[in-house]
Amino acid sequence: MIEALYDVSPAWPVIIAGLLAAAFPFHTARKGLALIAPVLALGLWFNAPSGDHVGGLIELGGFTMETFRFDGLSRIWGLIFIIAAFINGLYGLHEKDRIADAAGLIYAGAGLGAVFAGDLLSLFVFWELTAISSVFLIWGARNNAAYKAGLRYLAIHVLSGVLLLTGAVIRASETGSWAFDETLSVETLGGFLIFIAFGIKCAFPFLHNWLQDAYPKATITGAVVLSAFTTKLAVYALARGYAGTDQLIWIGAIMTAFPVFFAVVENDLRKVLSYSLNNQLGFMVVGIGVGTELAINGAAAHAFVHIIYKALLFMSMGAVLLRVGTVKASELGGLFKSMPATTVFCLIGAASISAFPLFSGFVAKALTLAAVAQEGHWMIWLVLVFASAGVLEHSGIKIPYFAFFSHDRGHRVREAPVNMLMAMGVAALICVYLGVNYGVLYELVPFPEAALHYEPYTFDHIVGQMQLLLGAMFAFAFLVRMKWYPDEKRGVNIDTDWVYRRFLANTLNWGHAMFGRGWAAIGNVLGAVRRRTGGKLFEVFSPIGALSRDIPSGLLAIWTSALLAIVLLIAYLAP
Amino acid sequence: MSDPNGKHDELIHPVARPFLWLDSGWLKSSMIWIFLVATLGFVAVDFFHHRHEYVDLAEFYGFYAMWGFGAFVLAVMVGWFVIRGLLGREEDYWDGDSSDEEGQS
Repeated sequence: MIEALYDVSPAWPVIIAGLLAAAFPFHTARKGLALIAPVLALGLWFNAPSGDHVGGLIELGGFTMETFRFDGLSRIWGLIFIIAAFINGLYGLHEKDRIADAAGLIYAGAGLGAVFAGDLLSLFVFWELTAISSVFLIWGARNNAAYKAGLRYLAIHVLSGVLLLTGAVIRASETGSWAFDETLSVETLGGFLIFIAFGIKCAFPFLHNWLQDAYPKATITGAVVLSAFTTKLAVYALARGYAGTDQLIWIGAIMTAFPVFFAVVENDLRKVLSYSLNNQLGFMVVGIGVGTELAINGAAAHAFVHIIYKALLFMSMGAVLLRVGTVKASELGGLFKSMPATTVFCLIGAASISAFPLFSGFVAKALTLAAVAQEGHWMIWLVLVFASAGVLEHSGIKIPYFAFFSHDRGHRVREAPVNMLMAMGVAALICVYLGVNYGVLYELVPFPEAALHYEPYTFDHIVGQMQLLLGAMFAFAFLVRMKWYPDEKRGVNIDTDWVYRRFLANTLNWGHAMFGRGWAAIGNVLGAVRRRTGGKLFEVFSPIGALSRDIPSGLLAIWTSALLAIVLLIAYLAP
Repeated sequence: MSDPNGKHDELIHPVARPFLWLDSGWLKSSMIWIFLVATLGFVAVDFFHHRHEYVDLAEFYGFYAMWGFGAFVLAVMVGWFVIRGLLGREEDYWDGDSSDEEGQS
């Protein structure tokens, strides 16, 4: 242990590496930074003192910012962010894009900084940094749709930051506290605004569509990077500030269910994964809402394994996009003949997210479901079990089946680049390793003792889970056989983004046009009035006007008479 | 790089060759029976072993299999008829350029 480094947050080496990458013109040097920075961050993570620790204090204008709070909650989130940053760096080794390299590192570092932030002001700084840095991963696709989606993404996330800061300021003015801890409450105005700020980033229902709008339009590596940090940072923030908030239980349950329906008929497989991501966040949000030690463990464990298997699925679709040029399900099929390793990795990711026994999702999701059932939320529990079958539909079956099997479209392409395969291999290995050696995961969660008392591999649990998965797989085979499974066809499905992309946009355009017309009409009326009034005045007061004919001195004489009358009146009335 | 018409077997990855049976017609037509038998097998366990669950409803014979089947069918039907039926639009609905819906590096 190096005591001198106790106060150095693992975020700094990653952020600094990102800033250096922005300046480095050398591709190899930037890629070296992308791999070395997470290793340095991991060293700092291991070096952190055991037990709860607050350090990295920065005095700023009389305010003390805490940049390194290391405790049970930030420990597990920090570790998985570091692992994700390393895998992302490996996956993107083949790309030669200085801006994307820098943005990816700064974004990962900002995510780490936010996780380790001990107060709301520090959180705000890193919160906004994640938004600003990550948008370049969308714009990096360099097409019109990505540019527009990036603007929408940036606007929504900056709004989240503004709400966070506003809420924090209001709360500080009321309580004098900038603490980022369990004292946050939705019952106060400040606490409610902060809750909404977290909810935007967490893709709450009706606040969610930025995710499905932006992620599928990001670069190949960008989508993988984005999938890891933003939403899980929000889950962390909710776990830190709002654990046990009842409203989160239903919010989370809705989040698990509604994306399932959209994912079923979505043709863009990266968009399917985005809906799937939303669904998975719901499980974590429910766990936080329940708020017991087991439930918080469930949310944390789920976030940990989810980052890995979701990244794995995004990586496999990224490899398909790189080689085939599309991830439209209607254009894919039979790719296992060309990309067998990618297929295997995708299947491992699919098995993990579907929670097959021996894969990481099984041991993590079980904690949340057990906690929900233990607390007597049986309706929520039924929704979560429904959503578990839905996960199998869109991520367990649809993604691998339509990309790699189904109808062979004749694509004969090269296997993914070696670095992509290595990154997918590492992620797949973690999925299997944690599924088998779940004790490692359970020791990392915020309340290890509660987790270690839970045994996921009971006979009853395995039988029940296999019944659920096989029943759903039989349903898939049945629907396909009966031709009751919808064809994959090109098209889009409108979501809540219709409100701001179409309704509000059209309303604003209409309002702008109406304002323009109204202003012109008012101008015309005023002009006519001015012309008519001027004409009348000219007719009356001009040297050739009517008054000039009757009153010798014209307008000046009238004014003189009027002033004289006023003076006389004042003199008469004055005491 | 892509050939949608041909079956250029020489271009198939060597590692994939032993697994070409995965694309066979008999396997695709057999999937329904394979999954049915597997599902019934796990349901049959319930008749010999009483599962202990936190939620009483889940202790019913074959509960998870039925819930999984029903959930899957519900998800597909709602997705098909409600989402695609009501909210489905042409690919160029947003910006008039379908290619923009897909990110590229």
